[in-house]
Amino acid sequence: MVKLKDIKVVFNKGTENEKVALDKISLTIKEGDFVTIIGSNGAGKSTMLKVILGEIFPNSGIYMIDDSVMNGTNSYKLAKFIGRVYQNPNSGVFPNLSIKENLILASKKGMRYLGFSKVSDFGVELLANLGIGLEKRLNTKAGHLSGGQKQSLAMVMSIISRPRLLLLDEHTASLDPQSSEKIMELTKRINIEYGITIMMITHNMEIASKYGNRFVKLSEGRISEDSIRDHVSAS
Amino acid sequence: MIISILEIGTILGIMALGVYLTFRILDLPDLTCDGSFALGGAITVASLLSGIPVVYCIFLGAMGGALAGLATGLIHTRLKVNSLLAGILVMTMIYSINLRIMNGPNLPVPRVSSNEEIQSFEDLSGGTKLDDLFSDFGEMKVSTKSDIKVQSNIFNNEKDGSDLTLIILITCGIILVLGIFLRTDIGMAIRAFGSNKNAVQSFGISKNVLAVLGLVIANLLVGLSGSLFALYSGFADVQMGQSMIVTGLAALMLGEIILSKINIIYGLFAPIIGGILYQLLLSLAIKYGYRIGLLASDMKLLTALFIIIVIGVSLVATQKDGKKKLKKGVKKLWSNSKT
Repeated sequence: MVKLKDIKVVFNKGTENEKVALDKISLTIKEGDFVTIIGSNGAGKSTMLKVILGEIFPNSGIYMIDDSVMNGTNSYKLAKFIGRVYQNPNSGVFPNLSIKENLILASKKGMRYLGFSKVSDFGVELLANLGIGLEKRLNTKAGHLSGGQKQSLAMVMSIISRPRLLLLDEHTASLDPQSSEKIMELTKRINIEYGITIMMITHNMEIASKYGNRFVKLSEGRISEDSIRDHVSAS
Repeated sequence: MIISILEIGTILGIMALGVYLTFRILDLPDLTCDGSFALGGAITVASLLSGIPVVYCIFLGAMGGALAGLATGLIHTRLKVNSLLAGILVMTMIYSINLRIMNGPNLPVPRVSSNEEIQSFEDLSGGTKLDDLFSDFGEMKVSTKSDIKVQSNIFNNEKDGSDLTLIILITCGIILVLGIFLRTDIGMAIRAFGSNKNAVQSFGISKNVLAVLGLVIANLLVGLSGSLFALYSGFADVQMGQSMIVTGLAALMLGEIILSKINIIYGLFAPIIGGILYQLLLSLAIKYGYRIGLLASDMKLLTALFIIIVIGVSLVATQKDGKKKLKKGVKKLWSNSKT
């Protein structure tokens, strides 16, 4: 489904601060995979996700979705294939908008026009499935929710338009253990029930060993491990 | 006096509405409005002099403002220039453009608009009492040019409240249209952009398009305000937009203080109420300020100081125990002033 071939990303090229963030990485992700990505800080995990999102264009190599080359495709155009959730709960939602408006915005990909869309039944159903009562607070502003609630809403928003791939960048890192576990269970359900392919970055070794059917370890911009197994060695 | 305060204040409120869109809803500070305000006025008066009906002139003035917003938006998004600098660049360009449009530093609104060349005071004043001498002579009447006169201004500058009614109707229309627009999908996306700029890209919306669109709408309002202001005051001047951003911000902050608990139609009434209040305070300061040694020329200084104070006070209020500290400070000031 997603194919990275010899992807190289160099920051500050030609200057004193030149840094090779990704060094000819090749990776193929199959439909339905739940890939856990680990690695120390600066290993290139987030850079790899940003390449897939279209936020960073690689210096060389080929990035493909299905059989289409996506090099140079802008992030908002890739959004119809890809959902994303980041570490900061505020980064995935619109705090000044109500929960309902957040869902309406997320349920449609692409440019908006002068119509009045309504929140989809699927969106409310997803919200109800969280079991935290957000479906009864549709008019509450997202900014008034707790960190865990915001992250849950962000997860729902990221899959409401049924993307094929969900990218998670340490999405449980800023949550307390209870909220973190709830979000991880939700992540697992998204993969199994809705068949959405997931690529998840985490620093939490417990989560990395517990979730996902494939583990990829990055070190200094290269893939040092790529396997399906029960245990991942600490980085 | 009260009527003219309400009239000017409401017109300035429309400009503050544009500032509200950029500073609050889009969260994209923009200084273009100093230029687009004057541009709206210049285009309106210049096109009025060329014989275009007044309604079209107002439309052209507003479109001029929108074009200025488009220029700022494109410079900001395409050339990756900070929105403030992009606004300053456009504002500077507009100064020269306005001089060209008006062929001078200012232009009066004609009382008579005609396709023919204006030749005399009678033409400008719309006739004299002497015209009546010929009124009974029918065909013998010397040309009074009544056939070529068109309504040259939507305002009559009489204190009968008709101008105020018209201004309020226009303003309510703008708020209604803007309120409905902000509820639409694209309006919601604009609000979302102001709330979280990076996240809009995740949902397949180009943040550049939203930034440009927001700047166009905001400056359209500022251009419209400039156009109405020129018609109301009877002239357009190349300097008329100077410090408009400061006036707009002061009006906006005043409105937000007054309507802090009330949030009707996305807070769109706050800039209008603030505009009126600003004009009221300005008039009082000009009228009675001399008693404490204030000059009319001090008003810009006072306006800017007001903004700094409001920002400072809101900063303190958001800190821990800030509100208590503020209350204590105010009480101390009050007791000191008594003694």
